[in-house]
Amino acid sequence: MLTCDQYHMPTSLADALALWQDAPEGTRLVAGATDILPWAREGRAGNVHLPAMIDLSRVPELDGYTVEDGRIRLGANVVYQQFLTDEKLRALLPCMPYCSIWFADDQIREQATLAGNIVNASPAADGTPPMLALNGELEIARLEDGDISHRTIAITDFIKGPGSTDLQPGEIVTAVICDTLEGYGGSFQKVGQRRSLVISSVCAVACVKLNEDDGTVADIRLALGGISPVPLRLTKTEQMLTGKRLTREMIVEAARQPADLVASRTRREYRRVVVRGFVEAAIEDALADCGAAVPNTDTRETANV
Amino acid sequence: MMERKVRGRGMAASWYGIARTATIDRAGAWAEIDDGGTGKIVTGVTEIGEGILTLLAQVAAEEMGVKPEDITIGDNDTARSPEAAHAGATRQTYMIGNSVALACRDARAKLDKELADHWDVDADTIEAFDGEIWSKDSNLKMSMEEAVDICKKRGVVPVGSGSFTAHGTGLDPVDGSGSPWQAYVFGTQVAEVEVDTVTGEVQVLGIWAAHDVGRAINPRGVEGQIEGGVVQGLGQALMEDYQLEDGHTKTHGFAKYILPTSLDIPEINTVIVEDRDPKSPLGAKGIGEPALVPTAPAIMNAIYDAVGVRITSLPATPEKVLAALEAKSAAGQLEAAE
Amino acid sequence: MSEQTPTDLQLEFQINGRNMKRRAKPHQRLLDFIRDDLALTGAKEGCGAGECGTCSVFVDGKLVKSCLMPVAKANGTKIETIEGLTGWGGDLTPVQKAFHKTGASQCGYCIPGMVMAATSALRENPKADIEEIKERLGGNICRCTGYTKIFEAVEMARDVLSGEASATVLEADGPGKSYIGNNVRRLDAPSKVSGRLRYAGDMVMPGMLHMQVLRSPHAHALIKSIDTSAAENLPGVACVITSDDVPGEDGFGVFVHDQPIMARGRVRYVGEAIAAVTADDVLTAAHAVSLIKVEYEPVAAVFDAEEAMQNGAPVVHDYAPDNIVKHIPIRKGDLEQGFAEADLVVEQTYETQAVEHAYLEPEAGIAYVDHDDVVTVVSPSQNITHHRHMLAKIIDRPINKVRFIMSPVGGGFGGKEDMIYQGMLALAAMKTGAPVRLVYTREESIISTAKRHPARITYKMGLKNDGRITAVSFRMICDGGAYGLSTEGVMRKAAILSCGPYNVPNLEIDVYGVYTHNTPSGAFRTFGAMQSQFATESHMDICAEKLGLDPFEIRRINMMHDGAVTHTQQTLGSVSMGRVLDAAEKACRWDTGPVGMRGQERSDLGGDDTRPPCTLGARFRKTGDDDRQEVA
Repeated sequence: MLTCDQYHMPTSLADALALWQDAPEGTRLVAGATDILPWAREGRAGNVHLPAMIDLSRVPELDGYTVEDGRIRLGANVVYQQFLTDEKLRALLPCMPYCSIWFADDQIREQATLAGNIVNASPAADGTPPMLALNGELEIARLEDGDISHRTIAITDFIKGPGSTDLQPGEIVTAVICDTLEGYGGSFQKVGQRRSLVISSVCAVACVKLNEDDGTVADIRLALGGISPVPLRLTKTEQMLTGKRLTREMIVEAARQPADLVASRTRREYRRVVVRGFVEAAIEDALADCGAAVPNTDTRETANV
Repeated sequence: MMERKVRGRGMAASWYGIARTATIDRAGAWAEIDDGGTGKIVTGVTEIGEGILTLLAQVAAEEMGVKPEDITIGDNDTARSPEAAHAGATRQTYMIGNSVALACRDARAKLDKELADHWDVDADTIEAFDGEIWSKDSNLKMSMEEAVDICKKRGVVPVGSGSFTAHGTGLDPVDGSGSPWQAYVFGTQVAEVEVDTVTGEVQVLGIWAAHDVGRAINPRGVEGQIEGGVVQGLGQALMEDYQLEDGHTKTHGFAKYILPTSLDIPEINTVIVEDRDPKSPLGAKGIGEPALVPTAPAIMNAIYDAVGVRITSLPATPEKVLAALEAKSAAGQLEAAE
Repeated sequence: MSEQTPTDLQLEFQINGRNMKRRAKPHQRLLDFIRDDLALTGAKEGCGAGECGTCSVFVDGKLVKSCLMPVAKANGTKIETIEGLTGWGGDLTPVQKAFHKTGASQCGYCIPGMVMAATSALRENPKADIEEIKERLGGNICRCTGYTKIFEAVEMARDVLSGEASATVLEADGPGKSYIGNNVRRLDAPSKVSGRLRYAGDMVMPGMLHMQVLRSPHAHALIKSIDTSAAENLPGVACVITSDDVPGEDGFGVFVHDQPIMARGRVRYVGEAIAAVTADDVLTAAHAVSLIKVEYEPVAAVFDAEEAMQNGAPVVHDYAPDNIVKHIPIRKGDLEQGFAEADLVVEQTYETQAVEHAYLEPEAGIAYVDHDDVVTVVSPSQNITHHRHMLAKIIDRPINKVRFIMSPVGGGFGGKEDMIYQGMLALAAMKTGAPVRLVYTREESIISTAKRHPARITYKMGLKNDGRITAVSFRMICDGGAYGLSTEGVMRKAAILSCGPYNVPNLEIDVYGVYTHNTPSGAFRTFGAMQSQFATESHMDICAEKLGLDPFEIRRINMMHDGAVTHTQQTLGSVSMGRVLDAAEKACRWDTGPVGMRGQERSDLGGDDTRPPCTLGARFRKTGDDDRQEVA
């Protein structure tokens, strides 16, 4: 059970930062609350008493999104459901609908924020691998001598380990900024013992764009989650495939490399095997999503070989 | 080389006993044909979602001659209702359904006697259904409301009681011989699965379930029990696992203890078979537990049909399936090499 | 807990069309507020962790999980609960009527949340197809219905709302010639789809107090001392009870009454109740529980059934020094002879796991002593007859001075057959003179209540080349956990049904239920029969493959017929085994062939009576199957 003495709902970023700066030790920031409430229960953190909670959902500076120069700034209050319901977001971020539909369920998607998911820095976070693939950054605000100042940091630098980030005392994440990939094909793979409310063990995201004239890869983005303490951008694999016409063999070869990156402590062999197939499937599904032809899958390799 | 996703089918047969095991089972009920041509039933009925209340209303309606929606069923209360004992052992339809039938017949006997006298006919010519009562092969007919009124004006309240017994014997302590139940049911299920050979995930796409229920009092209710049982079987087959480590659980909540969701459900095709029970007034037997027995082995047998690996330890998680596929492949390579 | 007084929240909102201004505690979730402060108990706390969906409500038109929403977030919003769908005295909505018509509600506990999810699905997309409907219900768990009739209801409602189907489809079928064999709609469905039915955790009584339980952190330990003084002195606490408070014979169970209502002298499993606090509110009671000081001396424990059967293993109950709860033997014919006659002998070991009942309604109950001095317990008990017997002895009262009332059961499956908490409630009601309510958290329910017996089965079957079984040796060892509960009965049923509906002339069956220091195993739908028959039906296929037989064929060769003599030597009357085999084979269009890896050659796959594999994304799937991305 979670209890607290104060529950604040500031209505401006300045108020939120001031509250946060002066907050008693143990105070927590709350976005959607969809992580903190399940956490404060028996079997996990147990009964937790906080002096205060600061809820950011009414801070208008964190709402909405803006698009400029091939990048999008998603306010920290943007929730997962928006990647499904907002047509513009679906067009600009082609992998996010697939990531989002795999995230929890409709009710939780209305409540859970992308920023909150990233800041939690769970190795099983679904939102982080797509943001890595999209060269994601976080915009972070703090008070400096009473004025609001911002910094941005690449998400790869922000996430240091499971549950560990670069967020400093007094700081609040105000936005997630990433590439827009309009016209790309996107995909997202996740393993689950069932089809809904799945905590992923492994997930893979891919976005791809082919050159119209010769069908070679103009740009490809790949990232994996759940196989190591932090999610991984598969830069080497991307480089290997860029400028090439994708054949069956090439995709298979590309999928082999990341398997060696599996470092996760638990269920290592399983994840290694799954990663191979996932990376293949992620690339193929992304190709299908942008309407490109997918190389012949008749002789698809499976775990049997 | 295999496709990534392959399908297969498997089946399993099953049997089950009805009511309490290896002992004498019993249930009692009270019935009253009430003002307005309605009915009142009181019995220690334990509705846990299986639909027994509705079934009893149907039985009472049929036996009394009134409509099911005009039946009121008393609360299950040790200070207010006769013993009918527990919800379990697939016993309620059999034990309580039959005791309610007997109680209603007892009440009807009183009503019929008064009405027969009033009409000057033999009591055994009297029939009733859906709120009307009449004497066979005559013009004598009235509403149940009127009939109850007449009965009461003659000074008789049409109340009845019933007790139903199921005879099971204990088992011999050495060779286990005995007759644990007086009624048995049989079932068969077929499963069609799709196995993802990259991840080891298994989806169940179809289940065909044929079950003998003796007599289906409410067919939709029987289907509901089969569908619920199948999905519980599926959960145990593929995803549920209460895990302990040195006595401490690792699955505290539903995030770790995985239950089937709407997206995991196969198309469930049910076939109701009726082999009437000769030892009871209604001829119905039961379905609550039998529905769950063949599902897991049917699914495991289907996985074998699809990918040639036999999972002998539940649940068949993606990891177990993948590990079995890897082991099979390694064994195959070894054989090829030899 | 804090020394500070929490600062109340001032809330203004609209709920079900009514404007309200209320105070709330800062820690309350929207779920707590609407249930406790507004007495709208249609939304439930099935899990409290956002996994089950029973708490779903609309906030500003969006369906959310209210157990995950701090109540402050509701300030200035428009809330719609299940009670608001119809309005007081209003007609059920088409969605609710459809649930009634199709039989979509069984225990009813998940139903308010499910109706809300269905309503939301059709509001978001009035043309949603079945795949999208399933997706939009993906956040709501049902444990009873298998979802099938829920899907049917949502599709029916969709068609009625769009005008594609007439509203008359929602009405009851006519009587026909008989009410036997009629699909009469469930009597209790309207109360369930409207959220009006109250379960024990929804019930309140004037002056009601609240209970919280101290549970053992150890699997096996002696209790050297329990100091409840700090807890008792906490303001707001009415009483603390331990086994010292039990006046009568302290033991409950089904076949053996080996379980005290709270631990007596020692604890035998993690989660066992040791003491219970009754206080003005749940928070105070929980705080008081944390102030109870227990001195434990952990002792050696055993966690594996086979280990527990060995000499020298830690003894769980003194009366059973070999840790055997029950051994059921069945013998028929001459086993050695039977195997000698066999052309083929197949051996295999099988394992099934412990399973949680996971009824959506966590355990709950209220106890009080009425004006006639009758100790009364209201709870979703599956066996009030048996519970009354036991409680009367435990609290040393005449049986007619003890009363059990069954509250609506939000799912049972055998898990609510045991008198796990009603004894504590009764004692607290007797000690305080007030009504006392206990509502389990989901975690409490999982950790402390009975599970399905996990089993290890060693199977040996002998057959002739023509497929006839000549002999079976069946040995099953089940972990019964720390207390007996239904173990003896489960072992008996497992044994009787083990070898399946087949003629087995020679057999030896041995089923053992064993004590360990694990969570107790108890009654769970099929009572041992699904574990034993899982082994048999897997084994039949293994044998069929070796003999080149189709799986239906091997079963037909061996199946019981009318007048069969069973494994316990009972002569049966009519046996419908052949009929159900035929019916299933026909219904599924079975493609006959020997057991083996035949999947890729079969001709009976992918029919209209199967569903497509789930590929998430129904709501934004591009037109045409070819473009459709298969999300794994």
